[in-house]
Amino acid sequence: MAVVEVKGLKKHFGNVKAVNGVDLSIQKGELLVILGPSGCGKTTLMRMIAGLERPTAGDILIGDQVVTHLPPRARKIAMVFQSYALYPHMSIFDNIAFPLKARREPKDAIRQKVEWASSILGIQHLLDRKPRQLSGGERQRVALARALVKEPDVMLLDEPLSNLDAKLRASARDELQRFQRQLGITTIFVTHDQIEAMGLGDRIAVMYAGQVRQIGTPQEIYHEPADTFVATFLGSPPMNLFERNDCLVGFRPENFLPPGVLQPEDKVTAFPFHVGRVEYLGSDRLIYGTIEGAAEQNKTISKLPSTITVDIEPDKVYEFVVQAKDLKFFDKNTGKRIEPQPLD
Amino acid sequence: MRYRRLLFLAVLLMITAVIAAACSSQPVEVTRVITETVEVPAEPVEVTRIVEVEAEAQPKFPEGTEVKILQWSHFVPQYDVWFDPFAEEWGRANGVNVTVDHVNIADLAPSLSAAIDAGEGPTLVELPLAAANFVEGVHDLSDVVMRAQELYGPMAETCVANSYLPAIDKWYGYCHGWVPDPGDYDIRLWTEAGFPEGPDTWDDLLEGGAFIKENFGVPMGLGLSPEIDSNMAMRAIIWSFGGSIQDENECVTINSPEVVSAVEYLVELYNRTMTEEVFSWNAASNNQGLIAGELSYILNSISAYRSLQKIDPEAADNIGFVDALKGPNGEQHASAHLWYIYVIPNYVEGPELEAAKEFLLHLTANYNQAVFNSELYNFPAFESTVPQLEGWLANDPFGSRPPDKLQILLTAKDWVTYLGWPGPSNPAVAEVYATNIIPTMMGKAALGELTPEEAVAEAEAQINEIFAKWREKGLVGCNE
Amino acid sequence: MQKSAAEETAVYRATTHSKTQFLFDNERFLGTIFLAPAVIYIIALVGIPFIMAITFSVTDVTVGDTSLDFVGLQNFRRIIQTPQFQRALKDTFLFTIVAQIFVAILANILAVILAQEFRGKWIARMLIMLPWATPISLGTIGWLWIFDSKFSPIDWILQYFGLLGTPDAIFGASKHLNFLGREELAMASVILVHIWRMLPLAAVILLAGLTSIDSDLIDQAQVDGASFWRIHFQIRLPLIFPIMSIALLFGLIFTFSDMVVAFVLTRGGPVYYTQVLPLWAWFKGIDGGSLSEGAAIALFLFPLLLVVAILMLRVARRSEVR
Repeated sequence: MAVVEVKGLKKHFGNVKAVNGVDLSIQKGELLVILGPSGCGKTTLMRMIAGLERPTAGDILIGDQVVTHLPPRARKIAMVFQSYALYPHMSIFDNIAFPLKARREPKDAIRQKVEWASSILGIQHLLDRKPRQLSGGERQRVALARALVKEPDVMLLDEPLSNLDAKLRASARDELQRFQRQLGITTIFVTHDQIEAMGLGDRIAVMYAGQVRQIGTPQEIYHEPADTFVATFLGSPPMNLFERNDCLVGFRPENFLPPGVLQPEDKVTAFPFHVGRVEYLGSDRLIYGTIEGAAEQNKTISKLPSTITVDIEPDKVYEFVVQAKDLKFFDKNTGKRIEPQPLD
Repeated sequence: MRYRRLLFLAVLLMITAVIAAACSSQPVEVTRVITETVEVPAEPVEVTRIVEVEAEAQPKFPEGTEVKILQWSHFVPQYDVWFDPFAEEWGRANGVNVTVDHVNIADLAPSLSAAIDAGEGPTLVELPLAAANFVEGVHDLSDVVMRAQELYGPMAETCVANSYLPAIDKWYGYCHGWVPDPGDYDIRLWTEAGFPEGPDTWDDLLEGGAFIKENFGVPMGLGLSPEIDSNMAMRAIIWSFGGSIQDENECVTINSPEVVSAVEYLVELYNRTMTEEVFSWNAASNNQGLIAGELSYILNSISAYRSLQKIDPEAADNIGFVDALKGPNGEQHASAHLWYIYVIPNYVEGPELEAAKEFLLHLTANYNQAVFNSELYNFPAFESTVPQLEGWLANDPFGSRPPDKLQILLTAKDWVTYLGWPGPSNPAVAEVYATNIIPTMMGKAALGELTPEEAVAEAEAQINEIFAKWREKGLVGCNE
Repeated sequence: MQKSAAEETAVYRATTHSKTQFLFDNERFLGTIFLAPAVIYIIALVGIPFIMAITFSVTDVTVGDTSLDFVGLQNFRRIIQTPQFQRALKDTFLFTIVAQIFVAILANILAVILAQEFRGKWIARMLIMLPWATPISLGTIGWLWIFDSKFSPIDWILQYFGLLGTPDAIFGASKHLNFLGREELAMASVILVHIWRMLPLAAVILLAGLTSIDSDLIDQAQVDGASFWRIHFQIRLPLIFPIMSIALLFGLIFTFSDMVVAFVLTRGGPVYYTQVLPLWAWFKGIDGGSLSEGAAIALFLFPLLLVVAILMLRVARRSEVR
């Protein structure tokens, strides 16, 4: 059952088309990540779902009810901002209790729910403090607790991890996922970080220039990119692309291997790979070079795990291979995925 | 970004406001200046001088002698047009550098006060009234007054009272002129009420005023507010009813049956002939009332009438003048509108002092010019200096219809009084005036906040306190 | 080889060129230079007059006699006895407090409106600032004409709609309301002009405060389900409270110490119903010649204003957030 549905949603700021026709459907208990570079419209999309922006066109349904023109407080949603937006003049208790007070719940119920939410997040000992006395990680938990007490139909998270330092971010991600699964709370998570997206999302919607380019599981997005943008936005390093026979051919660096690594029965295509430079990254080796005979000067990368110990030296040409199933084809003009083409 | 722009705007406006406030920190009586504007008549009348200034070959005063005169912008602009060159010309003839500065009338006392405190400033400062406050900070001018009296006969009593303080026998000022304050009445309305010649007594005023208000809805306007016209009008009632604030010896006499009866009369007058408007009376009210035709009788100098002549000659023709109203015993007193009192602060010395005194005598010698150029607004301290006055009043050179309309002003010297009458205008009298104790007393009674007896008693307590304070300083007489 | 500390200092000294060359890098020197104008200003235009006022208030100085003879608290004893002073004390408080209550309410409304996006917002902001940019005496003279006993445009409008000047009109049969001639109306008029005068500053200060609030907080509160009023009273107001208390403090002191509004509108009348302390100090001290009593009247509120100022600044500091 879809908890949130977005139909043909548009938001134009003057000539800027921040969101330009988005359709989404989020299932109950699902964690949907909206992934895209900054300026792609993902935050605007989320703010429209929250009711903080009025759409130019299209409809939003939450729990089968059209909420397009309802104010935020008429929608059963909760939101965590990137800045956490804790009310600086209120204690942590009052911060968490604020949505309940706004709903005029009885005092006892408020206390009970605040305690419940804070115990889930392990912040019971902070309830009397003020936000400025808390660390970044603690603030994030408070913001989550405040979202939780509302028992919303859907929880909106706007880059909630980006204000944490790298170490904390990994554990916070882990915790967030565990807690979302445990409570089964429908969540929309906005981020520009593909690792976060891959690690957290049940599904990922990749947005670019106000449109959803692809929506699917992390595996689908990664392995079967719908277009060249998705193909190159995900993966590190990104997918290699070059032109051949009037279409674009792409493959992931980790699939571009020296011969002999693969089983002999695998169906492969070979490319002459002129190695330019080799980078050792410990667990991986990145080999930068060009494919000879490609239409234009191209840059191609191969990523070899450290388990492959074949000697590769700069300024030599090797015969590298890609399995046929790992080759992706895209239309030269639209960038859209097309059927596999024969490579001569 | 927007925040910064906003802040910038706020700061800019604050700076503007501070500058503007600094430029206008002195409270101003703009209304007065605007409304008392009177134009110059088209054809000036030939004026003969009584005393010609002798053209001397040798300047009388050492080179570099300066006389700086500070006075108010006259309500008749032509006066300033005449006065400034007149003073400068005298300066050239006598080797004195004369400068004249005009300020708002309300700014003179504060300016003088600051100058005395600083020990430097203008040579001559002209005050409109209450100059006795400054008695200890200014020169004794008895020599000038004596010389003038030798030349032109006795000084008008109303001027003497405003420049001589008997308690310390000092001529602190030189009063060169005064302004009569007759009654102005609406001829048509008062004819309807049975008084074609206007009211003659305070009883007439009550009777006719009440009739006019009842039948024509036009109230009467004697100010009852904390300002100069109201102060003068309320005192006129007290004096005509036989009361006074002090006696000749400067003893407080406010709490008398006469004053109480004057207050009782005022209460009745207010209830039957006036509206609450009199409580918001200001310097512009007389003019507005006359021009709008909404007041049946006012007490005012002729300046309001002069402006009406320019604006609406027909309406001006409907204005008549009467002398001070008579009380129950036929007593008849009304204060002058204001006086022209020059003082010379103590810091002025040597040739500058001598030159200033000399100039005072020169002005007096040519006072007919002053009276003419003020369109008969100024009256002389020394009658003999303006022998033409009688003729001018009988045949107004400034176009009154009938031409002898202002002739009644000839009697002004007989009934004109001054703040403090029958005693001198001493500093205590000045403070009683400045703090508006008399209008407040009358106002409280008129509104029923206090009975006439209570109002008088309350005023007496305050007046006693003020008199005692100045008496301690030896500036007010009547020591028990 | 190791150098001793003394040697190092000597080397350092040797490399400095002259004493004055780096004068402007010296923070103490710069600090003194930059502070000097403010200090001189405060001493010359605040400190000296203030000390003079205190001195005057305990002597018998007059406008003509500037010699200072100590008389103790006699001036204070004299002034507090008069009904005018007592009324002035009451009115000063009343005018200030009532005006500031209205200013606080209206400034909030105005600031919230001005914080919205709408066409012509900048013009609206400029217009609203005008009363503050106008010299107070000029502005008040404008109001004097509006409240005029005969030519008040308010009277005309009321007459036009039949609310005034007919036998059964709501505001009475008289053709004029005489705003400045009736106790209640005159007091209300003075208060109104004070509100008109202080509102722009307060509104702009509040507006600056509102604009500086992190918009995430407001969004968050909306998502949390708060209504407009809850957001205003529980989020916006507490957040701008420090800046608002500064605005109100300004207003309090400005209104407390203002004599121009009452001077131009009513001169304390009708009778003495709009008398305020600064105006009474002027009548007594400058017009009446008793400088010492004027100073005593003017100083009367000083301790109280001082306490108010300290309190407000404290509250502002304590509630400072972040």
